[in-house]
Amino acid sequence: MYLILLSIFFPVLAGTCLLIKKEAADRRSLLITTGICFVLTGVLVSATLLTAYGTGFTLFYLTQSLPVCFGVDAMSVIFSAMTMIIFLCAGFFSFEYMKHETKEKRYYGYYLIVFGVLNALCFAGNLITFYLFFEMLTLTSMPLVLHNGSREAIMAGLKYLFYSLCGAYAALFGIYFIHKYSDSLSFTAGGVLTSSAMTEHAGLLLIVAFVMILGFGVKAGMFPMHAWLPAAHPVAPAPASAVLSAVIVKAGILAIVRLVYYIFGVSFLQGSWVQTAWLVLTLTTVFMGSMLAYREKILKKRLAYSTVSQLSYILFGLAVMDAGSVTGGLLHVLAHGFIKSALFLCAGAIIYTTGKTRVDELRGIGKEMPLTMWCYTIVSLGLIGIPPTGGFVSKWYLATGSLHSSIPVFSWLGPVILLVSALLTAGYLLPLTIQGFFPGADYDYEHFKKREPSRLMTIPLVILTVLSVLVGLFPTPVIDYLTQIVSTIL
Amino acid sequence: MDFIRNFPCFSIMLCLFAGIISSGVKGRTARWINIVLLTTVTILSACTLFYTLSTGESFVYVMGKFPAPWGNEIRAGVLEAGMALFFCIIMLLSLLGGQHKLIAEVEENKIFLYYVLTNLLLSSLLALVYTNDMFTAYVFVEINTISACGLIMIRQVGRTIEAAVRYMIMSLLGSGLLLLGLCMLYDLTGHLLMSNMKESIAAIVAQGEYTIPLIVAIALMTVGLCIKCALFPFHAWLPDAYGYSTVSSAAMLSSLVSKGYIFLLIKIIYRVVGFDIFNNTRIIDVLFVFGLMGMIFGSLSAIKENDIRRMIAFSSVAQIGYIYMGFGMGTQYGMVASVFHILSHAATKSLLFIAVIGLTDVSGGSRKFIELTGSAYRNKWAGVTFTVGSLSMVGVPLFSGFISKLLFAQAAVQVDGKMLPALIVLGISTILNAIYFMKTVIRIYTPVEETSYPSVTFKDMKLYAIVLVFFIILNIILGISSQPIVDMIEQGLAMFA
Amino acid sequence: MIILVILLPFIAGILVPLLPFKKRSHWEIFLECAVILNSILVWYLMLHHSDSTFVLAHFTGDLNISFRVDGLSMVFAGLVSALWPFATLYAFEYMTKEEHEKIFFLFYTMTYGVTLGIALAANLLTMYFFYELLTLVTVPLVMHTLTREAILASRKYLYYSLGGAAFAFLGLIMIIVYGTTNNFILGGVLDPARIGDKTNVLLLIYVIAFMGFGVKAAVCPFNSWLPQAGVAPTPVTALLHAVAVVKSGAFAIIRLTYYSFGTDFLRGTWAQTTVMIIVMFTIVYGCSRAVKETHLKRRLAYSTISNLSYILFGAVIMTPLGLVGALSHLIIHAVMKISSFFCAGAIIHQTERNYVHELDGMGYKMPCVFGVFTVSALALMGVPGLAGFISKWNLASAAVESGNTVAYFGIVCLLISALLTAIYMLTIVVRAFFPGKDFDYSTLEGVKDPNWKMLAPLFVFTFFIILFGVYSQPLVDFFYDVAAGLY
Repeated sequence: MYLILLSIFFPVLAGTCLLIKKEAADRRSLLITTGICFVLTGVLVSATLLTAYGTGFTLFYLTQSLPVCFGVDAMSVIFSAMTMIIFLCAGFFSFEYMKHETKEKRYYGYYLIVFGVLNALCFAGNLITFYLFFEMLTLTSMPLVLHNGSREAIMAGLKYLFYSLCGAYAALFGIYFIHKYSDSLSFTAGGVLTSSAMTEHAGLLLIVAFVMILGFGVKAGMFPMHAWLPAAHPVAPAPASAVLSAVIVKAGILAIVRLVYYIFGVSFLQGSWVQTAWLVLTLTTVFMGSMLAYREKILKKRLAYSTVSQLSYILFGLAVMDAGSVTGGLLHVLAHGFIKSALFLCAGAIIYTTGKTRVDELRGIGKEMPLTMWCYTIVSLGLIGIPPTGGFVSKWYLATGSLHSSIPVFSWLGPVILLVSALLTAGYLLPLTIQGFFPGADYDYEHFKKREPSRLMTIPLVILTVLSVLVGLFPTPVIDYLTQIVSTIL
Repeated sequence: MDFIRNFPCFSIMLCLFAGIISSGVKGRTARWINIVLLTTVTILSACTLFYTLSTGESFVYVMGKFPAPWGNEIRAGVLEAGMALFFCIIMLLSLLGGQHKLIAEVEENKIFLYYVLTNLLLSSLLALVYTNDMFTAYVFVEINTISACGLIMIRQVGRTIEAAVRYMIMSLLGSGLLLLGLCMLYDLTGHLLMSNMKESIAAIVAQGEYTIPLIVAIALMTVGLCIKCALFPFHAWLPDAYGYSTVSSAAMLSSLVSKGYIFLLIKIIYRVVGFDIFNNTRIIDVLFVFGLMGMIFGSLSAIKENDIRRMIAFSSVAQIGYIYMGFGMGTQYGMVASVFHILSHAATKSLLFIAVIGLTDVSGGSRKFIELTGSAYRNKWAGVTFTVGSLSMVGVPLFSGFISKLLFAQAAVQVDGKMLPALIVLGISTILNAIYFMKTVIRIYTPVEETSYPSVTFKDMKLYAIVLVFFIILNIILGISSQPIVDMIEQGLAMFA
Repeated sequence: MIILVILLPFIAGILVPLLPFKKRSHWEIFLECAVILNSILVWYLMLHHSDSTFVLAHFTGDLNISFRVDGLSMVFAGLVSALWPFATLYAFEYMTKEEHEKIFFLFYTMTYGVTLGIALAANLLTMYFFYELLTLVTVPLVMHTLTREAILASRKYLYYSLGGAAFAFLGLIMIIVYGTTNNFILGGVLDPARIGDKTNVLLLIYVIAFMGFGVKAAVCPFNSWLPQAGVAPTPVTALLHAVAVVKSGAFAIIRLTYYSFGTDFLRGTWAQTTVMIIVMFTIVYGCSRAVKETHLKRRLAYSTISNLSYILFGAVIMTPLGLVGALSHLIIHAVMKISSFFCAGAIIHQTERNYVHELDGMGYKMPCVFGVFTVSALALMGVPGLAGFISKWNLASAAVESGNTVAYFGIVCLLISALLTAIYMLTIVVRAFFPGKDFDYSTLEGVKDPNWKMLAPLFVFTFFIILFGVYSQPLVDFFYDVAAGLY
């Protein structure tokens, strides 16, 4: 119990203290403090995952029927482990990167707070606790988005805020109804709706389910409420973009997993119109995200659009509600998490060293920063889904799961769109590699100089790349673990 | 205690004599005579009221030795005595409150005439209240009209003469119609004493004869009296007459003269025609509609008005509308509400007129709102009093206006078809009242940076201030302890039948 | 005793200009003591309440002016008496910059008594009486600055309020005529035997009376007086136009609905649907106007409009749970809104800046004020863990529980409004804390947090916002008891 609380509140409090504390003259001491906090939090989370697995407790009651409770289950483990790894990597990366930004203290403060809030989301034991921290996440991650203070960033931050709140309120709308038609709001594999409500109020509850999926889907960048994502992710400092795009959006995925598999239950939604509509939305998003990414010229924006598309891969897997596809979806959570954070860190490294943001300015970059670009290339291949990377395995599971399911039309349409999107992914990611390594004959080798960034940047990058490859090379333990989860919730 | 039965007749006579005596004395003496007279009549009426209350029934005083159906009679019940008492009090307060204005506005050698007219007015009011004979009533209606004209005209500025002429023409038209109706009724019944007429009419109606002539007669009399008390749409004469005459006259005209006619109408309804017969005619519906329209249009005109005196005058039109709405409901409750409103409006309207004079005096005599800005600070007493009057008009609890509103609304709820229109118009009219009265209150409490007008204190206007206090007390009494008064009105109306 | 708490503020208020105080601080202490004493008396009265009715005076017939402490009175009286001492303290500091303070405090304190009169009234007539009186004693407060704008605002306020009362009056009449008594009894007093075939008329009058009282509660379309009345000094806007006056309107509607007409009579009728739709519209309308408004106090006023309709929304669900929701929001909104208004007042007092776009970067110069403001903004949005969430939760679960389809849409309105609330409140917070990178801090030279007299109330309110957010059980249980008629 204390471990769970500590792993949530230690980073939150540490972050708050950082925010309140007077501006320290010495950058070094700030970094040391922050670094210690990162490590401590990492230790706390790992300890929690190792020792507190399967426990749960109620902290206090908001009102009589609304307990705030926490627990650690298999799903928490997946998400919180991923969160921790990416957060630490991106955190240390930012020690170097943030040199060229201002107001570092504020950045680290909110960074830590968001870390804690994400932990809380992973460990939330019921819907209301989840909702509480879901809102907190929006509010505390907004300062990361508008960090650099330009007008564009502030507008993007506000856009992010209002979209997210809009989604959260749509979800809240549903929570009111679920509260009435269920035994409790705690996450229970297979759903909590009362059987009488499922038969008598099926129509209403389906509407509620759809509204809630849309609502939580906002965070996961699902069409039609995806517009905030390409605006908000690129304007943040690169490490922040990395966690935003790789982890924070996963909160939306986690929300939908919790909602569909732990609150409504598969049996209630399977075969309903909600499933169909949801599938349509996810496939639309997959295709549209890729198309937009393909057309985008600014690297970080391109990656953000890619996130929109990739997240809907996961959602597609979840929406199919077949054992294989759900496994694939959850695996893609991990794969995409590592890959996308690595991609953003690459972009960050490039911006940090060269200051260039547009793809077409980056000719020959592979010669200048070979390590970074190699990482970039490897994870890109993973995102496209070329074996033996992580992306391949997850997409394989997604496609086979979909074909295996008995949903008409979508069972084959889904894989087709995924394939097309994979081609587009290749189309928007690989040009940078090609240009970077093969700048062409007219490249000016005169001014060429090696400018690989410092170790503080490259090591996290390499770690993430290795992880993404590992997921593809040795997927079996992870897949076993996931299959185990899926068997309980389906 | 039976000698009290002489009091009504005695007070009427006293007024007539006082009028005659006053015509031979100087202004100051006339004023004292008038004050003594009013005090006496007040006491006499109070005695009569207690007498009727203690006996619990009305009495008839036969003039001379001629018994009914030939002789002339005076009849006094709770309502009559109460009304007489009330009229005297209001008249006394109005005269005292407007006295300094009277001295200033009327030529010195004509002041005694003013008191002569006042005495005559009182005598005619008392006669209208007490008489049991239609023809006597008519006679005093005329006396009333003439003295009222005099009261308007005595302040000799151009507008008053014009106003008086207009008033005279409209009033005479009214009396003419009344006379016509009276003749027709006399023709139908052969009587002039109210109780006899009622019996005959009841008989005629029972036989089902002469329906149309009867209705025409009733209609003529009603319309005649409506014109005289300025029911919408016959109110064109009113703003000038109330707006430009000297303030005591305006106060008396609005709160007494028109009320005298209304009281006469009530008597006709109850004692001549009979309440049920009157209600069975369509006339009450017409009265109801005109009442409602009066409430709205009177207030609308008041809102547009830029002259405070005329604004209050237009407000009277609205208030008369309330009273007729009460008649129009055709129920006992409606009647009680109307009678209460007669009292309440009389008390409030005279208060307003008197208070306004205090405000205009400290604003260089101008009645334009722009000049009145901040006047409540220059004359605090008048300011407070005006505020009280306004609140009462708007119908804020504690003040008499609220009780009238309450009674009207309660009465309206009892009548099926008329409930909604009455209630809604009541609501709208309250809002309109609020608009123009509160606008004025805020205006007079808005301070001005610098002003050339002097302030007055209690020392400068002892009499005036005391009168104002009395007015406020009267209003609050009506507003707080209304139950005994309402009981008295119910008792009085019961005695009528 | 019960009449004492109403009269004491009157007396204290009148004594302020009359007694020859030598220094400003003397009468400040006197007044503050009187107010605190009165609040203590009120709480004493509430804790030792008896069921007896205190009859002050008889009007006509069985109409009387009488007082009684019941559950609902305890809620409102408790709220008012808890907030008043703080507001007075704050006003002392704020009013140092204004003129005619004594007159101001005369009426300000009198309002306390009148509001308690509304809270403690035992019947509709008494409540109506104090309701009218409330309008009259608060007009001078709105007029206080005596600018042309203030005069126009107070005029409008007066017309709207008196006009509203005129229509509310019709409801009073209906209860007098068709009710067994006009005392407040939970469940209504209408006499079925007398209603007969007049159900529809009664419903119509209910709607009219609802709108009448609704004027004070700023129901659309009768709400334009409230933002205009924001010209008054901030303590007035904060306490009266966010709590005492406007809540009296909501309180009166609750009395009318639950204690006079009765929910059994109204539930499921077209009247309920009508008022519910009006209320829902107001919720959204108020918020959208707040988003458009750039004047800080007016923005908050529009926010009040919307939030008042939250209360009314709870009330018109017409179930005990709805009443619980309404009461929770009645209390909680009061705390939240007074807190945000006091922040606005502190900003105006310290910097004389009135518009939202002038607040850039001030979060760093006035951290306490803007910290408090942020908390109140988040609470108003309904972020869980803060008080606003509790009341919204109660409202929405009452709406779900009622099974009324219109109420379902009401939830949607609540959430839309929550989103708009986020927009209009958080843009201020973002401006204050994240002014943009090329912001010139030298324009904020000398801006600092106000002194303790202003800050103390702010912190107390913030404390309560958080307290109610995480631990509202006793309060909500109390509301359940009230709604069940246990007091």
